Amino acid sequence: MKTAFDKVSVFLVKVLTLFSLLLLSFIIIFIFKEGYTFFKEVPILKFITGTTWNPTGDPKKLSIFNIILGTLYVSIVAIVIALPIGIGCALLLSGYVKERPRLIIRGFIDIIAGIPSVIFGFIGLMVLVKFFEKAFGFASGESVLAGGILLAIMVLPYIISTCDETMDKLYRAYSPVAQAMGISKIYILRTIVLPQSLRGIAAAAVLAFGRAMGETMAVMMVIGNAPIMPKLLGKCQTIPSLIALEMGMAEVGSLHYHALFAAGFVLMAILLILNIALYYVKRSLDR
Amino acid sequence: MMKRIKSVMFALWICLSFILTIASGSFVILYIFIKGFKSVDLEFLLSNPGGIPIGTEGGVFPAIIGSILLMLIAIVFASILAIATAVYIVFYCRSQRLENIADAIIQCMAGVPSIVLGLFGYSVMVVTFNMGRSLLSAGLTLGLMIFPFIQVRVEKAFQEFSRSAINASYSLGVSKVYTIFKLVLPQCRRDIVSSITLAGGFAMGAAAPIMLTGAVIFAPVPKSLSSPVMALPLHLYILANEGISMEKAYATALVLIALLIIINIFAMTLTLWRKEVKR
Amino acid sequence: MNVLELKDFRAYYGSKRVINNLNMAIKKNKITAIIGPSGCGKSTLLMSLNTMLEEAEGRTEGQILFNGKDVHSISKEEVRRRIGIVFQKPTPFPFSIYKNLTYAPIYYGVKDKKRLDGIVVEKLKISGLYEEVKDEIHGSALKLSGGQQQRLCIARALTVEPDVLLLDEPCSALDVKNTANIEKMLMNLVQDYTIVIVTHNLSQAKRISDYTAFMLDGELIEYDETHRIFTSPQDNRTKEYIEGIYG
Repeated sequence: MKTAFDKVSVFLVKVLTLFSLLLLSFIIIFIFKEGYTFFKEVPILKFITGTTWNPTGDPKKLSIFNIILGTLYVSIVAIVIALPIGIGCALLLSGYVKERPRLIIRGFIDIIAGIPSVIFGFIGLMVLVKFFEKAFGFASGESVLAGGILLAIMVLPYIISTCDETMDKLYRAYSPVAQAMGISKIYILRTIVLPQSLRGIAAAAVLAFGRAMGETMAVMMVIGNAPIMPKLLGKCQTIPSLIALEMGMAEVGSLHYHALFAAGFVLMAILLILNIALYYVKRSLDR
Repeated sequence: MMKRIKSVMFALWICLSFILTIASGSFVILYIFIKGFKSVDLEFLLSNPGGIPIGTEGGVFPAIIGSILLMLIAIVFASILAIATAVYIVFYCRSQRLENIADAIIQCMAGVPSIVLGLFGYSVMVVTFNMGRSLLSAGLTLGLMIFPFIQVRVEKAFQEFSRSAINASYSLGVSKVYTIFKLVLPQCRRDIVSSITLAGGFAMGAAAPIMLTGAVIFAPVPKSLSSPVMALPLHLYILANEGISMEKAYATALVLIALLIIINIFAMTLTLWRKEVKR
Repeated sequence: MNVLELKDFRAYYGSKRVINNLNMAIKKNKITAIIGPSGCGKSTLLMSLNTMLEEAEGRTEGQILFNGKDVHSISKEEVRRRIGIVFQKPTPFPFSIYKNLTYAPIYYGVKDKKRLDGIVVEKLKISGLYEEVKDEIHGSALKLSGGQQQRLCIARALTVEPDVLLLDEPCSALDVKNTANIEKMLMNLVQDYTIVIVTHNLSQAKRISDYTAFMLDGELIEYDETHRIFTSPQDNRTKEYIEGIYG
């Protein structure tokens, strides 16, 4: 018994799905295409290896090596800080926290994950940057380190929930047996859960790294946005903040405009490579 | 002895990590609450921003309304598409290859940084389709951003729904559509509403996608879909970054964070409630 | 009279053949038991009979005739309505008992509240659940015991007025008392319905069925009246199975 309602519903579901998938493909293709237009003018190699970014000068210099480095640098600093803390916290959660309080703590962590990046940026500006200026007597506290610390706090929730998922399963699987043998929780966590969750940790790190690289507002507010060779305590520029700051002033269709798309393209390409790498890492760890 | 030291170090590490996590998170929330608390009153919530430069006086009323409208447009647009896609993939798609392709596209989309989506919204909607910087352009761009978020969660809810109950329904000769509407959707409703709510919060807090597509420094409460809007996150960015008024910036941040916490807690209660029932 | 007939029937999962050239006719208003060791294809056979196999990604060749008509010439919804199935694991919907039983009737267009109430009471009585649950008809079906849930599922299958009821090891997860309840119910039902039951439990087959089919490795080895299968099996493999050789 197929009613008209059935037929209409099925039709709608199919049309909407097709529309969604085409739309998403279009977005991805569009960005690649706009970037490609630029690479016809400026060779891709020159774009990513040249160090000068000066879109208003004459002649225009549009190369983003420093900016790519800046993006990677800030994100790496963030992961280096956040990963050990995230893993530690997830270990504690899976081994020592009971169901109920755990739900509350995870809820709290989800709330941190839900805090918008502009608020982090604001706090970074008011607290971190000021702190660097006062404590170290810097002329300007805006730096890679400030961006890294801020991003670390922002990606921490993602690391914790990804790790905790793996670790919780492992702990539940092994702890009854191990505890029956009189082995302490700490020992189970350290010798079984931690080494066994390597795959989850790798996934968490890549996920967090991707998040960090794509982050705009928070980073933009604390790194100083200067397209120079990044140093830990110096200013830098990242691809997302470059796009956010300059899109409004680039004339549509100009070389500058296409260069920003090309930068977006490079960012997506890095993320894609990262995800493919993760896929293979996961697979090799599966064996 | 060595083993003992290792254990102690390990314990120290995980305890410190836990404390740091909780402390940093609490700090962010408390800092905003303490700093912003004294500047938020009813007048701040209900009046337009004023002063020169704009924002030094007055309130954030148009930004609150703007943010809520942007969120609504984003979730309506994204959830219709996302739920339809999830239904199709779980219940109708018979080709494994198509499923893999759809999955790859959605995963790829989930990885697109929000600023790049803003770039897309700007050049396609604002410039090419001539929609201008408007509520609609910005709302749709946010919708694109949260589409994968909702789709992935709804699909997961469908996948986790008891396969045997679905088969039991088919075996009564009941059609797929009836099964989906009367059995699956009502039972997954909480999961769906909770993912949409979380996505809404995510959209409401995002500044990067809307700064190019529709959010502006000052606009009254929008009259139509094609009017530009104010939004809390962008307003906060401008107040703070241009150094217009830190006092107002703290207050704006507080309003934004309070709205988001309410949204988050609402979503969490839904999920928790569901878990209790299942037990 | 034959309600269901299988001709040169084969079933596959992917390229793996699980049922091989099976010919069999199922008699109206009788209980037919299908027995055989695990993995012999008896559940697959049952699922094929009301086209549920395709939901499990399997496919079939050959003919299944339902009242003389090829099931593939009838819409699959219609086949499934007229040939009900109850699975091994009870699968109540996560609704109230009442809604479980009105789910399908509402789909088939019964709107009248009185008629729906009537269906609920009637089917609960048939399944012997009425006395046990009459005060909590609007309570969640998930709160029932395993045996009650399974009887509810049988009642639910009956709400669409099928001609045939297929049961896939309906008692394997139940205790003796609940098993007895269900067996009693099936013996009452057989006046109005044709019943096919897959079972692991030989004594159950012996107790309730009129005909018994023995399957092994996807083939129908022997199919006859139950008392003959159990007293004088023709095939040696049947004899070995009922004597407990295959377990």
